[in-house]
Amino acid sequence: MSVGQVRIRVPEKAKAGEVVTVRVLVTHPMETLQFKDNKPVMKQYNFIHRVEATYNGRKVFEAEMTQAVSQNPLIAFPVKVTEPGTVKVTFHETTGKTYTGEAQIRF
Amino acid sequence: MTSGFERSRRRMLRLIGAAGAAAGAISLGLAIPAIPAGAQQALGMPQDEEKVADTMKRLFGNRTIQDAGDRLKVDAPLIAENGSVVPIKVDAELPMAPDKYVKNIYIIADKNRRPLNARFSLTPDAGKASIATNIRLASTSDVRVIAEMSDGTLFGVTREVKVTVGGCGG
Repeated sequence: MSVGQVRIRVPEKAKAGEVVTVRVLVTHPMETLQFKDNKPVMKQYNFIHRVEATYNGRKVFEAEMTQAVSQNPLIAFPVKVTEPGTVKVTFHETTGKTYTGEAQIRF
Repeated sequence: MTSGFERSRRRMLRLIGAAGAAAGAISLGLAIPAIPAGAQQALGMPQDEEKVADTMKRLFGNRTIQDAGDRLKVDAPLIAENGSVVPIKVDAELPMAPDKYVKNIYIIADKNRRPLNARFSLTPDAGKASIATNIRLASTSDVRVIAEMSDGTLFGVTREVKVTVGGCGG
């Protein structure tokens, strides 16, 4: 389990026009606020703040996340597939790093 | 059971929140002067505590939120043993046509320090508005799920989730 490992699950086979559910899991600590003397510690926290998904290069899904999303975020979203192709999911971390995963949708 | 203690501590936190934010802003300036100016550097920095009413106002202005009823199916546990992993599933029985579709789905937890948990943006290419994720809840709280249509109409559903152990790091 290394940070930034992206795992994507899609149905094995899809039909044209079908709505498939893409399930993505990324290994990430999603740091929560630390408190000292009941005040949040002012520092840059490392968490994923944005997720983008494309299907054959076309943007299909986007999410804005906060620290109130669990560690190792799991996200499921729908994509209507019209032709076989690649789902690509990119996670943007607050440090500027990005993590990407890909999955093939076959017919 | 820590819930009683937890609750009073949170109330305390809320009281100190305003003072803390002010002090934080000062210490921020002093402690991290090396960060360059620009929108990017704010990423990951703690933001001020926010009341849920303020969050709603910030996100939706004065638009009314219609009760979604059966049109928004929210799958959330009644009791979450661990507030740091609360699975939420949203299924919207709302149109997904190119001229009218579910543009955004917001998940808002009333009693979190920053109530907005996540925002999911969809396009008509999604085919159906259905998302799932795991969220953190600080304490027993109402969770609001709000779907925003492309024409600005808002549909909302509220679920109470009881939390035995809070999960927002303090």
